[in-house]
Amino acid sequence: MQPVSVSMALPGQARQRVLRWVLIGILAAALLIWPLFTHDLFYTHIATLVLLYCIGAASLHLLVRLGQLSLCHAAFMGIGGYTSALLTTRLGWPFLPAFVASAIVPGVVALALGPILLRLRGVYFVMITYSFGELVRLLFNEWQSLTGGADGIFHIPPPHPFFATSREYYYFALVMAALCVGFTGRILSSQTGRFIDSIRESERLAQSSGVPVLRFKVMVFVLSCGLVGMQGSLMAHYIHYLSPGAFGFSESLNFLVFNVIGGMQTLAGPIIGAVFLVSLPEVLRGWVELQRVIYGVILIVVMLYAPGGLVMIGRRTLELLPIGRGGGS
Amino acid sequence: MSELLQVQDIQKRFGALQAIELLRFSLNEGEILGIIGPNGAGKTTAINLISGMMRPDNGRVFFAEEDVTGMSPHVLVNRGLVRTFQATTVYQDQTVRENVLRGAYAKAYPGLLKSLWRGAQGLSPAEETFIDDLLAQLGLAEMAPLTARNLPYGHQKVLGLAIALAAQPRLMMLDEPAAGLAHDEVVHLEGVIRRANASGISMLVVDHNMRFISTLCQRVVVLHHGAELATGTPREVTRDQRVIEAYLGTPHEPA
Repeated sequence: MQPVSVSMALPGQARQRVLRWVLIGILAAALLIWPLFTHDLFYTHIATLVLLYCIGAASLHLLVRLGQLSLCHAAFMGIGGYTSALLTTRLGWPFLPAFVASAIVPGVVALALGPILLRLRGVYFVMITYSFGELVRLLFNEWQSLTGGADGIFHIPPPHPFFATSREYYYFALVMAALCVGFTGRILSSQTGRFIDSIRESERLAQSSGVPVLRFKVMVFVLSCGLVGMQGSLMAHYIHYLSPGAFGFSESLNFLVFNVIGGMQTLAGPIIGAVFLVSLPEVLRGWVELQRVIYGVILIVVMLYAPGGLVMIGRRTLELLPIGRGGGS
Repeated sequence: MSELLQVQDIQKRFGALQAIELLRFSLNEGEILGIIGPNGAGKTTAINLISGMMRPDNGRVFFAEEDVTGMSPHVLVNRGLVRTFQATTVYQDQTVRENVLRGAYAKAYPGLLKSLWRGAQGLSPAEETFIDDLLAQLGLAEMAPLTARNLPYGHQKVLGLAIALAAQPRLMMLDEPAAGLAHDEVVHLEGVIRRANASGISMLVVDHNMRFISTLCQRVVVLHHGAELATGTPREVTRDQRVIEAYLGTPHEPA
């Protein structure tokens, strides 16, 4: 057994905690202030999209941490979006109850499907969720009397007349994203999160330590799908329009790519992934014909040289700086 | 002495293979009972059936006078019935301490809302002491901050035991705890099992190593082709003609 010094671990951890809160503080201040200094509404628009996608990316992260890679996350986003859009446009509901319903309806669907789907693991789960995602997309497309078919739904009202403009909606999205991501982080850092990790790492050991594995998986699935449903609603009321194309396979895949590129080990991963990959196409707008090629190359490079995701690159850089180092006297 | 575990005529078939033909035995409170048998005798299947990982086709299992047949493993853990695995099954990427913690905490899960309210709460001093004592008892204290995958094989097996002990069971079922261990590691393991037993935990030990079972157990059930062949003290069963035949084969007829 090689000798290991533990004495450095505690001060290093405390320092990292302080560092983390300082970083979060700076980030929060920057997110709050920057829109006031720009008149280019294009950037606020992109930032709003990034924030909304952070909700979906973080919610899928719950399933990734559970060890279940879902390829129907966008379908649940769609269910939430359509719920909220139909309730407000057809039935004239106010935004708030419709928004609540946009979390509950996907949650209930997940509750009904979860006990069946979550018995499957690995590629089998990936394939069944892929099929379910396509089924939902077809439903959006074909059930024209309800969903308006491929044309979609128009004139979805903003949550409140105050949030009708881009900058105001940005702040609304910022608050919602912070709440949803914060909620996800709280789950992962609590005892519930400890069991989520236990299930991924060894399902049978978790089970024989007394974790009700299937019940736990269903619970996390419901939470995850409810959260992404809220993103669907927030998107619909932001863009004022909804169509089946936004909830297909490629969108589901995107959520997974956010997690893979950003890093699957910590919640920061999908957030960084979403920031990077949602803004990237806009940054590359000058090279429209090369956009997909560059996107592909970046994916390959990250997977080859940083299998832990962009988070690992950040962490390694931080370790090189004197403040980030745990030890050293 | 009361019977803590009663296995009544359980049967299990996998396709064409009758893995458990007809198994019947009971375990007394406070006892270390051995189940021994050659490879393929159905030892692990028996544990899977009792621990709720599989459901028997027929027969009943009683634990503390309650019919627990077909109950989920997590329910049985809460009743005090915990098992370990034949292969080293630990959380490879976690520290030794975190492994033990996870064993202790699954039972005490407060529910989603309460766990969210509490957040990343530290342990109470009593819980800290419990974990530390357990690690010390098993000779793992010095390795507590190490990642489980870096432990030598023998220590990983002991860690598997520690995770199960952390759940504070009444009955522990050990599936081939000594498999693949060196001699001094087996001695250490015997000590661990004896001490846990002395603290009031009943034990069901499954193995195919007669010497290991003989030194540890007061009573032994010999399993052969999924059925009980003989039951008795280690001395009795090792002299039983049918047991000798099952282990060594029938002597050749002289030509």
